[in-house]
Amino acid sequence: MEMHIVSMATVTGTLLRRCSRLSAAAAPLSTSARALGGGGLPTVVERHGNRMVIGYGFNGEPNYIDRVDYPIPAVRFKEDNAQIKVLREKERGDWKKLTKEEVQELYRATFCRSFAEMQAPTGEWKLVLGGTMLACSIAVWIYLFMKVFVYEKLPDTITNPEKVEAQVQRMIDLRMNPVQGIASEWDYEKGQWKN
Amino acid sequence: MIRNAFSRALVAGRAGFLQLAPQSASVAGCRHMSKVAESDEQLTARYVQYFESKDIDHWWLSKHINDLAGTDAVPEPDIIKACLHACRRLNDIAMAVRFMEIVHFKCGNRVKEIYPYVLQEVGPTLKELGIPTPEELGMDKPQLALEDVYDM
Repeated sequence: MEMHIVSMATVTGTLLRRCSRLSAAAAPLSTSARALGGGGLPTVVERHGNRMVIGYGFNGEPNYIDRVDYPIPAVRFKEDNAQIKVLREKERGDWKKLTKEEVQELYRATFCRSFAEMQAPTGEWKLVLGGTMLACSIAVWIYLFMKVFVYEKLPDTITNPEKVEAQVQRMIDLRMNPVQGIASEWDYEKGQWKN
Repeated sequence: MIRNAFSRALVAGRAGFLQLAPQSASVAGCRHMSKVAESDEQLTARYVQYFESKDIDHWWLSKHINDLAGTDAVPEPDIIKACLHACRRLNDIAMAVRFMEIVHFKCGNRVKEIYPYVLQEVGPTLKELGIPTPEELGMDKPQLALEDVYDM
């Protein structure tokens, strides 16, 4: 079963006027500055619609967001419909009389996702790993293409063993890199490689 | 001056706050850099007082629960009991269940040691108020799936 987070973009001109005129006990709490003015025509859409404001929220705006570090958002998740209103009346009485389904119904009216759902693994790592390996394999294919079609053959100063031997003999004669390099591997008294 | 819900909440909040222990400046104590850090017992006592205040409303309940969720600690059983009673006064069982989920979450990776202890301490209160734990509701496992906005 899938749910979508939808922003409630209902124009609530009557709501704004109601906020300013109703007695304090009945009006819903609102952190929004738009509700403070009251009177006159509404100029901004109240994005949270009829949803009850229950707190400050993580940034002071009447939004809903699932966060494990800020678990109680500013507004309830769902607007109160007739079904929920019935449950809310029942909620005022003894909670032992509420069935498990009703408690879940009330929970889902206030919250979109439970903690378990917020923290559920997404499997995104498979996408990332697969994408990375795909990119690496493309790189390897490009290298093979270059080797076969682009690069010239290696010169015979590298491929011909006699020429390589002559070059190494020259390095030994000139005492090249005598401390740690190639000439240090040659034993000059015995005339052979050190082992 | 148009009397509206927002100023009523502010007044009620301030009045409720003044009844509590004489703290200065901010509520959550997050700006008290020059003061001595309070001990665990003081923090517990403070939050128990917050939740036990008779005229607590949803705004303050949310605020204190969110502050607790922000502390690097598992709430003491006394705080949990006071919060559950506050939810009962506000007739909001969803907040009570959410708060138990928060406590479970705050246990972190030592949840197997700490959460059974919490349930043992708070169990009588849960039974008395009739609050099911998230496990009893089946909410310790994911039940519903939400489509990621990036996949829509």
